[in-house]
Amino acid sequence: MKKFLLDYGIKVRLPIILFVIIVSFAVTYYVSYAERNGIGYQPEQPIAFSHKMHAGDMNIDCQYCHIGVEKSRVASVPAVNVCMGCHAISRADKPEIQKLTQYYNENKPLPWKRVHRVPDFAYFNHSVHVNKGLACEDCHGEVQNMDTLRGNPFKSIGQVSSFTMGSCLDCHRNAHEKFPNLPNLNRGPENCNACHR
Amino acid sequence: MDKGKLNISNMIIENGPEAKREDSEDLVEQALNKTYWRSFKELYNDPDFKDAVKYEFTKESEEKPDLSKLSGISRRRFLALMSASAALAAAGCSNYKDKGLVIAYNQKPEEVVLGLPNYYASACTGCGSACGILVKTREGRPIKIDGNPDHPVSKGKICTKGQASIMNLYNPERLREPMFNKLQTSWDEANKNIVNELKSASSSGKEIAIITHSVLSPSLKKLLDEFKVTYPTAKIYSYEVFNDTPKQNAWFKSYGKRTIPALQLDKAKVILALESDFLGNELNQIENTRLYSQTRDVMSKNEFSRLYAVEGAVTLTGTNADYRIRLRTDAIEEFVICILNELVNRKKVSAFAADSRVTSVLASYNLNDFAAKYYLDLKSLNQLIEDLTKHQGEGIILAGDKLPESTHIAANLLNEVLGNTKLYSSESENVELMPLSTNDELSALDDNMQKGGVGVVIHFDTNPVFHFSPDYNYAEALKKVHTVVTLTEEISESAELSGYVLPINDPLESWGDFKTRTGFYSLQQPIIAPLYNTRQKEAILLNWKDLEKPYNEKIYNDYIRENWEKNLYPVFGSLAPFNKFWLTILHDGVALVNEKSESAGTFSTGAFAESSRMKAGSDFIVLLQNNNSVGDGRFASNGWLQELPNPITKTVWDNYAALSPQAASEIGVNSNDLVEITLGSKKQTLPVFVQPGLADKVIEISLGYGRTAAGAVGTGVGVNANVLISKAPAITERFYNNAQITKVSGTYEIASTQEHYPIDSDPLLKDIQYKRGIIREGTYEEYKTNPKFLKEKEGRLNLQPINKPPVYESKDYTGYKWGMAIDLNKCTGCGACITACNVENNIPIVGKDQVIVNREMMWIRLDRYYSGTPDAPKTSYQPMLCQHCDYAPCENVCPVVATTHSNDGLNAMAYNRCVGTRYCSNNCPYKVRRFNYFDFRDHFRDSIQYAEPLDLLANPEVTVRSRGIMEKCTFCIQRIMKERQDAIQENRKVIGSNVKTACQEACPAYAIVFGDVNDKESEIAKYREHELAYSVLEEIKVLPNVTYIAKLRNVLEESK
Repeated sequence: MKKFLLDYGIKVRLPIILFVIIVSFAVTYYVSYAERNGIGYQPEQPIAFSHKMHAGDMNIDCQYCHIGVEKSRVASVPAVNVCMGCHAISRADKPEIQKLTQYYNENKPLPWKRVHRVPDFAYFNHSVHVNKGLACEDCHGEVQNMDTLRGNPFKSIGQVSSFTMGSCLDCHRNAHEKFPNLPNLNRGPENCNACHR
Repeated sequence: MDKGKLNISNMIIENGPEAKREDSEDLVEQALNKTYWRSFKELYNDPDFKDAVKYEFTKESEEKPDLSKLSGISRRRFLALMSASAALAAAGCSNYKDKGLVIAYNQKPEEVVLGLPNYYASACTGCGSACGILVKTREGRPIKIDGNPDHPVSKGKICTKGQASIMNLYNPERLREPMFNKLQTSWDEANKNIVNELKSASSSGKEIAIITHSVLSPSLKKLLDEFKVTYPTAKIYSYEVFNDTPKQNAWFKSYGKRTIPALQLDKAKVILALESDFLGNELNQIENTRLYSQTRDVMSKNEFSRLYAVEGAVTLTGTNADYRIRLRTDAIEEFVICILNELVNRKKVSAFAADSRVTSVLASYNLNDFAAKYYLDLKSLNQLIEDLTKHQGEGIILAGDKLPESTHIAANLLNEVLGNTKLYSSESENVELMPLSTNDELSALDDNMQKGGVGVVIHFDTNPVFHFSPDYNYAEALKKVHTVVTLTEEISESAELSGYVLPINDPLESWGDFKTRTGFYSLQQPIIAPLYNTRQKEAILLNWKDLEKPYNEKIYNDYIRENWEKNLYPVFGSLAPFNKFWLTILHDGVALVNEKSESAGTFSTGAFAESSRMKAGSDFIVLLQNNNSVGDGRFASNGWLQELPNPITKTVWDNYAALSPQAASEIGVNSNDLVEITLGSKKQTLPVFVQPGLADKVIEISLGYGRTAAGAVGTGVGVNANVLISKAPAITERFYNNAQITKVSGTYEIASTQEHYPIDSDPLLKDIQYKRGIIREGTYEEYKTNPKFLKEKEGRLNLQPINKPPVYESKDYTGYKWGMAIDLNKCTGCGACITACNVENNIPIVGKDQVIVNREMMWIRLDRYYSGTPDAPKTSYQPMLCQHCDYAPCENVCPVVATTHSNDGLNAMAYNRCVGTRYCSNNCPYKVRRFNYFDFRDHFRDSIQYAEPLDLLANPEVTVRSRGIMEKCTFCIQRIMKERQDAIQENRKVIGSNVKTACQEACPAYAIVFGDVNDKESEIAKYREHELAYSVLEEIKVLPNVTYIAKLRNVLEESK
């Protein structure tokens, strides 16, 4: 009798339990991939700025505002005076623009919520990627279509790709397959000190 | 894998050490005939040193922490607190995905691009040289100081103090608010009261004394003059602890003027330094080093110069000399006159041989007798005389700033006799805007203070309470002064005794103009707005001069501009309108002007004939020295400088009485024992440091230590030797004879890095471990007759390259590959590279207790080896840093692959992967890896390095390492990546010579070359191919990428 129970335990119960554990782990792992890597993160911003309107509808170049992207490691978020270059006149009557004007007049910086971030010990360089011909969309997704995705105008921009080391190396190792339109692209560096220093 | 490891060890034994062991005796004798030693412990095989060699980590560094010093909190309680705080933190966080804010500028300055540095030219005010500097800023905050390449004197280089002075700007202990009687007050209140005091002192005929350091600024001089008009009883006193006064006085007596011309050291074939540390701690060392190193260039066809040093102390100059003659400092004058006698009376060199006033003085001196009396080697003296005679007009005799006037006059005469005045620059001479106060003037001030005749004393960024001789009894005298005002950046001994303590701007927040030489002005501009409620010291005076004018940040700027527009701009004859002209010179940091320096007058023989003679005694001599770290004490609160090893003794965080081995054994003391030094009525107790090469009966003590009020870092470091200074010295203020020295009970541990990280390990190699060719040297003669002599010696050592060891991954390095060359002929061992590296790479200060247990973190170690006898050692310097070996032994022992090799030949370190096993350091043959035993920023002095605003100092391109991480030199990977970024942006190839490492940029001797070794046209490739190139520990065949150029000594006989 005892022997039967033991047999039953090992031959039936244990595999079922293991199966359930493995499957639930795999499913959780798969389902939580986006959650873990911050994909879909869309924080509420202080001003309802629409990338769709500026970069999409009006077709303003990304670099009109993100001026550092070709020259520097960081793309840089535009200073308020860049916004005011147009909005001193344009749409000055809208409430969001008035909010912006108020920041400008009070000489206060705008506290934008950060959407994309690589850890402190990784030194990502915008300039080298953009100057090699990579488009902003390749990592940041179709920003020109990002607008009030969930009906909240303050949540206008979000993260679409993973920014883990695995994602970096995925492109660096398979540069040619990933970017067939850039024939002169070299394989990205894989040595540690390309990013860590 | 195991098989592979076995193979490599076999291979090394077959080709390397085994082969050497067989005929080690032979090789010792023939090939590398020298024993190098770094300390007495090593020379005499002390067990401590053997341990240091045998064990990578010393017993102390492995010690368990002292439990009594730990927190008494129990484990249960700790866990309870932890879980409570974790629960609180979890409850407090609304969104775990939150990534914080991106705070953009409201109005971004046009010139700022986030992530890219901006550079501003300014001037350093750390000493009387006023070197031009170029300050690197990131997003508006200064992060690094280098020399200004456009500046005619500094030419892009700056000394250790200038490099590290950036830390003073961010010193968390800077004074932030004006204080009156130690209570905070407002500027308006303080100014109003002080002006009232000034007015009442002025009207009641009481003196107003302004005590400043040397005045180098034309605008400040004008301001002081105007101040004296407003307050007629005001007097200006200026002093420097380290000054050139005896030299200037001698120049005045010899030539009728006080301004000494600049020297064309680069044209010198023979240099004779008399107790002169012109490469080390005397004014103008940056230019001197640059010019001197040009005469030691193996890449040019020019002949090497020959440097003779005659000295009692052991200085950087002396240790770099080809011939170093050890002589009591008070016998140097006699030595010079003996040489003069030899040249003028015997050899009849120059017209002075007919001048009876000179010859009669000389006749009573005889070099042979002199040499016999002081046991000098007559051969090298004759060599000196022959060289001086042969190179008339191409030599220079330099007398040190501690020597008295009479010696300087004799040295001037010697230069005249030899026609060496040709090397005095006709274009540039030193300018003295305002002579320093004489001791008589300072005594008069002191007496007046004691009598109550002084109403107001203003310490104009000076610290006389600490600096002045105890003879003045200055602290007592201050009590009799009604109002004492100290303008200072940080707390000081003088500020402690002052009613008003007014915080002033850092030099990086200040405006200024400086005139130190003819031919140019240096400009100083603020790099950052004042961090606190401070004002520029000149602006404060300006405000007191005319209180009606409201203060604003720009008043002194306006004042300088006005002065320039009215008085200086017309001199330039510039075609540009003034505004444009002003902005141009501010941008350049220097304004060149066409000025003729007055020609030197004729030498007055009377000055020589009439001057009194320094008499050589037989008692102990005390020399009070400058140093390359804290200076006269003003850098005491700078931890980087306190921890910078002394170039010769390698001591940190202390001063001491240096004694020769002979003198130490006579008194019966050893290093770390305490002695009392008595000079007349003055006494001080110091620890002893036994210094090889010091003249017997010479005691060397460094000034600037022993501050009693210098904040958390500087207070109580070392012993105050200023108390030995006399206000009426028999010789000079920093040179005394008739000193007594007695042993007193007790010991004091001096921290020294000289035995740390020794490169020798295998006990099998015991007999030849010092002869492994770590330092290779030859003579210039040898090199000239056979340029390949060094390689031929190498051949006998069987240093053929081996086949690729199988455990290493194959790399072919087809693209660019980084390498460094260090020319040991140029390197003087000054330590500028170490400081530059500290600033660039965010290297923490660890503190004296940690240095004692071998845990200093500096990535460059400047090894100093002695060879020969303890009495007269020869010294070799060698900067040692990560060698980025092609077959790096550290890489294949790392269990977590945190250290790897890149395709451009770098040995990379991924901090976030390191778990701190320290295997890599254990396996590193060069001992260049540094381990963070603590988060040293947190561990040192109540985590002062984490205090605001010191975090702003960090270079944002380099990770700040935490506890448990191994680190080492990266070849400034951040600068390499910047060049790669620029190359991609400009669509070109990476150009190796565009990358300058921080140490290379700082080296005043241009001894460090860096670049792409695959670019055959580059400088680095040429250095690697040079006949004198070698790498350290070649026989272990790890193929290092740092190449050393063997030092050539310009001596005649083969040095033994």
